[in-house]
Amino acid sequence: MTPAPKTYVRPMNRWWMRHPAYRRYLLREGTSVMVAAYALFLLAGMVCLVLGETAFNLWRGFLQSPVSVIFHLAALAAFAFHAWTWFKVMPLTTPPLRFRGRPVPDRMIFRAALWAWGIASLVLLVLAMRFL
Amino acid sequence: MSQTRTIMIECLRYDPEQDQAPHYRTYEVPFTDEMSVLEGLQYIKDHLDGSLTFRWSCRMAICGSCGCMVNHQPILSCQSFLRDYYPARIRVEPLEHFPIVKDLVIDQSDFLGKLESVTPYLVPAQPLTPEDGPNLQTPRQIEDYLGYAQCINCLLCYAACPQYGLNNAFTGPAALALLARYNADSRDAGQKTRMEVVNAEEGVWGCTLVGLCSEVCPKHVDPARAINRNKINSTQDYFLRFLAPFGRGS
Amino acid sequence: MRTRSHEPIVWSLFGAGGVFAALLGTMLVLIIGILVPMGLGFGPDAMHYDSLRSLFGHPLPALGLAVVISLFLFHGAHRIYHTLHDLGIPASKRMMLACYGSAAAGSGVALLLAGMLVVF
Repeated sequence: MTPAPKTYVRPMNRWWMRHPAYRRYLLREGTSVMVAAYALFLLAGMVCLVLGETAFNLWRGFLQSPVSVIFHLAALAAFAFHAWTWFKVMPLTTPPLRFRGRPVPDRMIFRAALWAWGIASLVLLVLAMRFL
Repeated sequence: MSQTRTIMIECLRYDPEQDQAPHYRTYEVPFTDEMSVLEGLQYIKDHLDGSLTFRWSCRMAICGSCGCMVNHQPILSCQSFLRDYYPARIRVEPLEHFPIVKDLVIDQSDFLGKLESVTPYLVPAQPLTPEDGPNLQTPRQIEDYLGYAQCINCLLCYAACPQYGLNNAFTGPAALALLARYNADSRDAGQKTRMEVVNAEEGVWGCTLVGLCSEVCPKHVDPARAINRNKINSTQDYFLRFLAPFGRGS
Repeated sequence: MRTRSHEPIVWSLFGAGGVFAALLGTMLVLIIGILVPMGLGFGPDAMHYDSLRSLFGHPLPALGLAVVISLFLFHGAHRIYHTLHDLGIPASKRMMLACYGSAAAGSGVALLLAGMLVVF
């Protein structure tokens, strides 16, 4: 057997610089940092709610601060981008769907997901206005 | 005859007998509107530098030999035209994530091993002989796998997949798409063997859905879809074995 | 024989978290961080201590909040774990434990707090 030829393996450092699709991918994955951060923020709210009125009013008061507004605007952008990209790739994960014998096109699944997003948001808003 | 213009082609060069690392050489290539990147490379080889090494065969996007990176985009060089890049210069490199043998030629042996590992052929439920006659399928049954069957093993999807580049153990897009192709075939009964490949860490779980594999595929095979649908199947397989421990033999 | 990956466990949690975050996340952030503090559609008494205590005194809202927090945490942990690997920090047992472990710990705390809100 002939020996394996000498080959050159290129390094992977800064691979995301090579293609815009890679940077969009990392941005999509990056939204998860905001999702986790927001979960911790809600968790802090829960802790304060258990601790009592004084503690909770601190958390509630923080909501009025400019820092909170900036944090929430960033979170809003992250959640919206997450939702958009999540629904966009959803047809890749769903099992093949058929309607009247024809495969359901990806854009129909995406559109249905956007409707679900809108309806869920509306229901949440109505519930919040009723109970908060 | 259309007018001749000149484009700069910057080409990665690597000679395993001389070089420690690759370097780039730029060539001035006269081209006409109908010339592909592959024909540009052939011009270099015929007129400027006979030592430039690259693979090609059919010149019509079906053999899958001439894949390379142009400006970091994996493409078939026979299917991309110099006029679309002009007046900018182009940078031609071998397919990303594979070891370079010489210049634009990469070592595909890792992929060939992976292709073999997915049992890429029909496994009939019972052994068949010619006397059994043709194995008929309805158009609907063909539709289930025809898209995945278009793969020409050009490896553009591997060059587009950073997960394969970061961890070569990952089975990768084309092999997993072909796995899905045979699993989806009504004549096949080999799902159980292939499920082992799917369920492994190096199987579908090596994928994080970057999605570029499907975008660069010249045959619209959509490996990202094949892999991510099998994540659902693998998850079902993972949890259902606890519900039906006696039905599955192992 | 290849070894079966245990990824389906964390992938399911990641997926569930992703769906919740996609469907509810934007409106949740909008209500809590923008609409209520600015009084848009909500009165100055919205999200007052007493009203939230009575709301989360019921098991369903309390458990719902804990589940949402937990799934958000697992969603984040899963993507952060894989993205760190993408960025060149090699995946390891320790890294896995740090990511999913903190999500599990956070989920435990959320469930405990939900229980306390209901009981006390």
